[in-house]
Amino acid sequence: MKTDARSEAPLVRYYCTAGGGMERFLLDEVKVKLAAEDVCQMPGKVLFSSSVGINTVSELRAAERLFLLLKQDLPVQLSANTNPAKAASVLRSRVLGDKTLWTSAVMTWNHLQGELEGRRTSVNPPNPALGVTMKRDEGRIEEQRGEEEEKHNEENKSKRETAQRGETLKGETCGAEAQILEKKRKRDSEGKESNSGKNAKKPRSPEKERKRQYKEDDEEGRRKVMEFNGCGQSGKSAMKPDTDLCSRGSVCLIAEEDHNLKRSGMKMDDMAKDFAVKNVECVETTGGGDKTLLQPSRIKPEPFSPDPVSFRISCKCTGSLSRYFNTQEVSRVIGVGLSKLLGWKIDLKNPQLEVNVNLSDDHCLLGIPLTRLPLAHRSYMKTTGLRSTVAWAMASLAQIQPGFCVVDPMCGVGTILIEAAQEHKASHFLGMDIDDGQLRKANENVEFAVLGNRIHLLKASSMMLPLPSASVDVVVCDLPFGRKFGTKTTTAANLPLILTEMERILCIGGTLVLLLSPQLSCLLKKLLEQKASGPTSNQESKPQTGIRDGPSPSPSRSKQQAFQILQRVKSPPTQKTDPPSVLQHCLPPPLSSLKHQATLRVCLGAIDGLIHKYVKTET
Amino acid sequence: MKLLTHNMLTSHVKGVTKGYPLLIKQATEVKVNEVDFNPQFVTRMIPKLEWSALVHAAEELGQRQDLPDELVPEYENNEEFLKKVHRVLLEVEVIEGCLRCPESGREFPISRGIPNMLLNEDEV
Repeated sequence: MKTDARSEAPLVRYYCTAGGGMERFLLDEVKVKLAAEDVCQMPGKVLFSSSVGINTVSELRAAERLFLLLKQDLPVQLSANTNPAKAASVLRSRVLGDKTLWTSAVMTWNHLQGELEGRRTSVNPPNPALGVTMKRDEGRIEEQRGEEEEKHNEENKSKRETAQRGETLKGETCGAEAQILEKKRKRDSEGKESNSGKNAKKPRSPEKERKRQYKEDDEEGRRKVMEFNGCGQSGKSAMKPDTDLCSRGSVCLIAEEDHNLKRSGMKMDDMAKDFAVKNVECVETTGGGDKTLLQPSRIKPEPFSPDPVSFRISCKCTGSLSRYFNTQEVSRVIGVGLSKLLGWKIDLKNPQLEVNVNLSDDHCLLGIPLTRLPLAHRSYMKTTGLRSTVAWAMASLAQIQPGFCVVDPMCGVGTILIEAAQEHKASHFLGMDIDDGQLRKANENVEFAVLGNRIHLLKASSMMLPLPSASVDVVVCDLPFGRKFGTKTTTAANLPLILTEMERILCIGGTLVLLLSPQLSCLLKKLLEQKASGPTSNQESKPQTGIRDGPSPSPSRSKQQAFQILQRVKSPPTQKTDPPSVLQHCLPPPLSSLKHQATLRVCLGAIDGLIHKYVKTET
Repeated sequence: MKLLTHNMLTSHVKGVTKGYPLLIKQATEVKVNEVDFNPQFVTRMIPKLEWSALVHAAEELGQRQDLPDELVPEYENNEEFLKKVHRVLLEVEVIEGCLRCPESGREFPISRGIPNMLLNEDEV
């Protein structure tokens, strides 16, 4: 759904979670891409308002998860020695507040779901996050059902797709299994095929048949391929699919109260309902609403029975408040309070809505997750290596311009190149790796993301790049941290040579962005510190005859160099810089043209990484 | 391997002073894919190309068609020309074959579309 002028589009307030060190990238991103207003940052979160459409918001690359803001308030503080009952009452009143806050938030949420849904059913090449996740699921099932597809006309297609989603989920089951499957999906989304494959074997059902199936299993019918995160925090059961189809009806229910109770009564468990059809119902009932979501009614309405919104609380409670309540208690107090206030139903296993509650000494923050999968999960990635958010951050630091040639000399499965190529559509990317397995996966990833026209792969060694000198605009690389990759020698030993090659192929003015472990980061800093000393004193063998794009030094020589470089760090250099005439016949000092721009720390999960940025200057 | 990549590849065999351009030999499998035409992208790539190497490579593969010897002036607005360039740069793909260093004769195999530019220790 497009809005023509920003002034017409409503300003929605969101917050996103961000991995450690990613907040600054996210801050920039929301300002640049979403013209965000009232941007503020908390540890691990960025809050902002934007009137840009939700489909664009859900394309944020530096964010982990996206939430609709419900409430951003001063921290809940209890005075000393408050009795438990009073404490609970304060908690309820501070957190729950006014009824209208909730009803209007849920209406906004439903509206946004509708917009996200609208994109999902379109037939496009892979789009980010949730839109495409679903499309991919459907795609896989479609493939398996090849012949059956042809039997049905276009009208039935979307009905079938919604049915498929329900069927897909059946394989995922409830409880912890779903969470495990969810994690597995994040790591390698191929894993899901087996599940969907099983379920896809069910025969195509006409609409009646499908409805029967859903009636058989209430949970099944309610499910949509939407899951929320954060369950672990509250100790509740695993991530569950929700349904936004139903909640739309419920919202009308809540907002219009008695009036709706009679009319809207949509069957909550009827997955076959097109979302927009429900919207039509709402619109008719309430006499208003967004008509642009109306779609041709392909599905016959059914007799309805009203159901309240079902929800679950996902809570994180830290600071002084946690002396009074543990997380589960807070969840319970708020959950019960909310259900009394709004008539909503608590459903721990399969709620329509999840309410995210963050209570600390600094703030009280409530929100509703907007997408099932985190934004950090990319629908266009088949096999991830490095975290997509960090990969994107590295690419954004490199300041890639249209027409640039970007090289990753140790590309692995191609994560950084793919993130960069998605962002910069007029540049071309070259990935190298020495490992066949990695290249194969990189190839799959590139094909999966439909980027084969701009990302090309080579089997090559980072210590001997088959490229002319000064031919590349950007070099990005996640240097292997030493333990994961089965190379004979460690990255540390080869670092000088690797860096020399990277420097060589860069144009003057070109950018180098590296991700290093803390140890490699230290080593690199030392390597570059000693650049100020003369070059020839470094080399034991005769200087080469100054052909810049001649063969690079052999690996054994690089070890000598590395050793010498490290030694020199310990004892101050005694030699003066050689006179220019001698220099002309020698290779310029290794790495001397790399000017350091920034070092940034990012969280990579179990460990931290350091991103280094350099620009190549005149030597 | 697409010819856009080929246009950059250089041999770094020990002692070689001019390992460019690499000759394309034994191209037993060559595909011509359909790739979305992006004129802006092609326009940006052209100034960075070694034009004669591109023409020569396309000819080696029998895919030159009517690609001119020299760059056409004001190509930015010449869609017909850009499409020809687009075709040889991005649509023609060597799946199986090899690249030969013009100076040393050393051959680098192309397998499943990916050229293997690794050298042995003694060649380095």
